Amino acid sequence: MTRRSFKRALGIFWWVTLLFLYAPLLVVMFYSFNSINSSARWGGFSLRWYRQLAGNEVIIAAIGNTLVLAIVSSLIAVAIGALTGYGLYRHRARRLGLLIALVYLPIVMPDIVFGIADMTFFVGINRLTGLLSPGLATMVIAHVTFQIPFVALLVYSRLVGLDATLFDAAKDLYASPAQRALHFLLPTLRPALLSAFFLSFTLSVDDFVISFFTAGPESATLPIYIWGAIRRGVSPEINAIATLMIAAVALVAVISLALGRHRGRA
Amino acid sequence: MPDTATDVAAARQQGDTARRASSIGLKGIRKEYPGGVVALESVDLQIGAGEFFTLLGPSGCGKTTLLRILAGLDEPSAGSLTIGGVAVTETPPHKRSVNTVFQSYALFPHLSVRDNIAFGLKMRGVAGAERDTRVKRIADFIQLGELVERRVDQLSGGQRQRIALARALVCEPDVLLLDEPLSALDAGLRRKLQVELLRTQQRLGMTFVFVTHDQEEAMVMSDRIAVLNDGVIQQIGTPQQVYERPVNLFVARFMGHDNIFAVSARHERRITTPIGELTGERPCHGAHVLIRPETIELSAPESEGVEPGKPLNRLFCRVEERFYRGNNVEYRLALEEGGTGATLIAEISNCGERLFRVGDRVRAEIYPEDVVALGDEGSTS
Repeated sequence: MTRRSFKRALGIFWWVTLLFLYAPLLVVMFYSFNSINSSARWGGFSLRWYRQLAGNEVIIAAIGNTLVLAIVSSLIAVAIGALTGYGLYRHRARRLGLLIALVYLPIVMPDIVFGIADMTFFVGINRLTGLLSPGLATMVIAHVTFQIPFVALLVYSRLVGLDATLFDAAKDLYASPAQRALHFLLPTLRPALLSAFFLSFTLSVDDFVISFFTAGPESATLPIYIWGAIRRGVSPEINAIATLMIAAVALVAVISLALGRHRGRA
Repeated sequence: MPDTATDVAAARQQGDTARRASSIGLKGIRKEYPGGVVALESVDLQIGAGEFFTLLGPSGCGKTTLLRILAGLDEPSAGSLTIGGVAVTETPPHKRSVNTVFQSYALFPHLSVRDNIAFGLKMRGVAGAERDTRVKRIADFIQLGELVERRVDQLSGGQRQRIALARALVCEPDVLLLDEPLSALDAGLRRKLQVELLRTQQRLGMTFVFVTHDQEEAMVMSDRIAVLNDGVIQQIGTPQQVYERPVNLFVARFMGHDNIFAVSARHERRITTPIGELTGERPCHGAHVLIRPETIELSAPESEGVEPGKPLNRLFCRVEERFYRGNNVEYRLALEEGGTGATLIAEISNCGERLFRVGDRVRAEIYPEDVVALGDEGSTS
């Protein structure tokens, strides 16, 4: 193969990859504006499915659940994960191999395993104590557990990238432990904490498997609703939900990208 | 040599710019890291108030550890530390009136230059208005007034160095610690900032403890120098004492001397070395002697010599190599008789006299007091 045709082949490969990545999304978005109930034929532009969506209380409740779950779990995960990341950094000189593996294991563990395990565990506790009946609370706990490693990783890598003498400089310049946290650590970690929050948020909104196993009857999230709805066939209403989710995720991605660029300058 | 310290301090106190300055006392300071690595063996040291004191030594000699103990960033395993007569061994760093200029400068990347300088004052609870006045005063003092609004990453190395200095000075500490603050800069800027730093210290009359591995820098800046090796102080003295009268082989080598000869036999003041028999000033006990190249006088062998009649060591040599350096000329000399193949280096300042050529016979004359006996390592002055 000549160098030139190799380059052309690489170019084609690139466009094919892009096509398979984004064409399905474009199709969904396109048909969400269809005036007729079909995902194959175009009947003209309309916002009919969006209006129908707005009137569907089940969907509105699911969106609410999704947002509450994502925000609450992300806030908790950022708090715990940041402490974990800082702890790993502070004690990085010790041999923390097993501890780090324990913290990071959830990243590689299949969701289905966690989902089933969480469900069994929560049901067990519920049977013994009456606490933790399936619902938003159990979902928040489950989500926090898989968000923590990502937060810890982000915070830890930000800390490792810092000049370690900065900690000494803060002490040397009369900052007490509380002042060091407030005036040095928090401002320095702010970009990492914001990215961690947005990452946790998208992970939570994204999650179906673990949510499915830990949800209760009243706490269905959007992915769970869609999964239920799809069994009755793809409706343009689903396309409209999907389009809204794509827009929301794109917005969050743009925000965290902008934050990342800001951090790059700071 | 505690006398020297007191003299220096007294001289400084008389200056009208002198602010408060504190003496430092270290007694039996030892630092051992987990795993048995000993960074400092029992260090005893008195630093006078207002003194510019330098800790000099190769990397890993313990000088930075000693500085961190002064700052409170490391705790000594044993021993006690006083600053201004007050015991501070257990005091955490944020409660010590000591500030540090770090080697990496350690400027906070999330703060502007102004906020970096104001950080220490803010942590101490100095009110906003006074903080602004003091930051402005110090910024003018080290001539970086126009930079205060900048972000730290927009500054050059020399500017960062100055900001780091300003950030420490603005707190008006009793003692300022400087950890190789100039080592990251190029030679020209470095010499300029050496002078600047020295003038700053003299104007403020503050006690400076300076760490460096550069013996020239140490000599230029310091009132006194402590030479460290392997966690042990080898010698404490003025730059002149340390350079001209090194107490042992390590200090002599570290101060950049090469004319060092092993002593194979000794009888009273007479010693036998690879360059022949020499007479020293005092009975020699060390295993080595140093003859500084600039103390050797050279003349033509048939001439009268420098000071006829004075007790001198006279060695007849042949010029093997000559290095012309403009302000001085270095000759490498081979002994004609009595030597065992060793090379003697002589450095003659170039005052327009006739230079010797390679192959010339010369007479080298060495005063007995310039034969410096070097003791065993680890012994202190």
